[in-house]
Amino acid sequence: MNANESLIRVVDLKKSFTGVHALKGVSTEIYRGEVVFVVGPSGSGKSTFLRCLNRLEDPTGGHIYFNGVDLMDPKVNINTHRQKMGMVFQHFNLFPHMTILRNMTIAPMKLQGVSKEQAEAEAMKLLERVGLGDRANAYPSQLSGGQKQRVAIVRALCMKPEVLLFDEPTSALDPEMVGEVLAVMRELAQEHMTMVVVTHEMGFAREVADRVLFMADGQILEEGAPAEFFEHPSNERLKTFLSKVI
Amino acid sequence: MQVIMERLYLNFVKDNRWQYLANGLKTTLIVTLGAVMIGILIGFVVAVVRSTYEKTKKLKILNLVCRLYLTVLRGTPVVVQLLIIYFVIFGSVSINKTFVAIVAFGLNSGAYVAEIIRSGIMSIDEGQFEAGRSLGFNYPQTMIFIILPQALKNVLPALANEFIVLLKETSVAGYIALEDLTKGGDIIRSRTYDAFMPLIAVALIYLVMVVTFSKLVNILERRLRNSER
Repeated sequence: MNANESLIRVVDLKKSFTGVHALKGVSTEIYRGEVVFVVGPSGSGKSTFLRCLNRLEDPTGGHIYFNGVDLMDPKVNINTHRQKMGMVFQHFNLFPHMTILRNMTIAPMKLQGVSKEQAEAEAMKLLERVGLGDRANAYPSQLSGGQKQRVAIVRALCMKPEVLLFDEPTSALDPEMVGEVLAVMRELAQEHMTMVVVTHEMGFAREVADRVLFMADGQILEEGAPAEFFEHPSNERLKTFLSKVI
Repeated sequence: MQVIMERLYLNFVKDNRWQYLANGLKTTLIVTLGAVMIGILIGFVVAVVRSTYEKTKKLKILNLVCRLYLTVLRGTPVVVQLLIIYFVIFGSVSINKTFVAIVAFGLNSGAYVAEIIRSGIMSIDEGQFEAGRSLGFNYPQTMIFIILPQALKNVLPALANEFIVLLKETSVAGYIALEDLTKGGDIIRSRTYDAFMPLIAVALIYLVMVVTFSKLVNILERRLRNSER
């Protein structure tokens, strides 16, 4: 693994909804194996930024280079690149009409031609790892929120992505279930999975992040290593923000 | 008692008159099943086109065609459509009446099925779409593997209801002199001058079919629900 290899390079990314400029030219770089947290007040554009990375939200301008390929190029087949960019949502978005196992195996089987046996073996291994091996044949509605989110994470991992995008993964959870999801994320971070995490969990960001971005008004106002970022913020907006949330 | 037996004999047994009902029932079932198949096929296509347009703004022309179809078919009575298809569109050629009825009721039903399925698709949380797309499924794959199975399950009761409506609606097929169940009963009436027996018999047959079908759908619905809990 090359620690300084750029995996995602974002250049002057812009997104405007009717009348609102959600992103006003964001540029940054995500390195392979890096864990980047994005924090900021609500409405700052951090979720929009994340959702633009795999073009779930279509940016209005700028460039996103993933493995050197510009995802904004109209000739690019975004679906093949999305297979390599796993995403975890605030509301889990498991497929309610499929068992947990099927949730995890359908994409590798249909999209990567993995055999049923192999896909299920790999899914089971991942499920065991997050302590849900016994729930493989359950349906999502039978799981707690924390369990659902752990499944959602391993479902994304089944595609063997090069980066995982987390969109407020713990915001919809009951407080007592946050820990189990963070534990899985912590483990992934320790294994140098490339991760971009939008969150309100400041303590967790400080503990796990390699780098923290502060967004407000559709711009990155400050970024840095967590120690520096949380101890010695220089931007006034960031100072106010941190004084409110910590 | 004696009188009732005589009337039963006169209306159903004499000259094998029960065959009007039996053959009529057969025609009614053929027309209904044929129309359901056409209706679901059309309904599916129209629903997917319409919801694709609503979600992505693609397929603009096709969407317009579908909307025109829906407006016309839902805005005119099915009897008028049946008559137009038989006497205008196929007016100059000799054509099987059962076939005409299947086409007419199928086209009509398709419009209602389309709106039912579309409402099912639109009722699925946007997050399901995003989850599918984020895994790398393209739009059609997301539709087929993730959205439609859930949408169809949600609208199953409405679809069953549409089937029941269609079964009863085919009773106007007599307008093009197709001998369906209703027409069969009416023919007996015209032979025996007894309206009560044949028409009540016809009504009972419809009723039994509808009640049986509703029961089957209830069982199916319960099974589907159990599979998730």
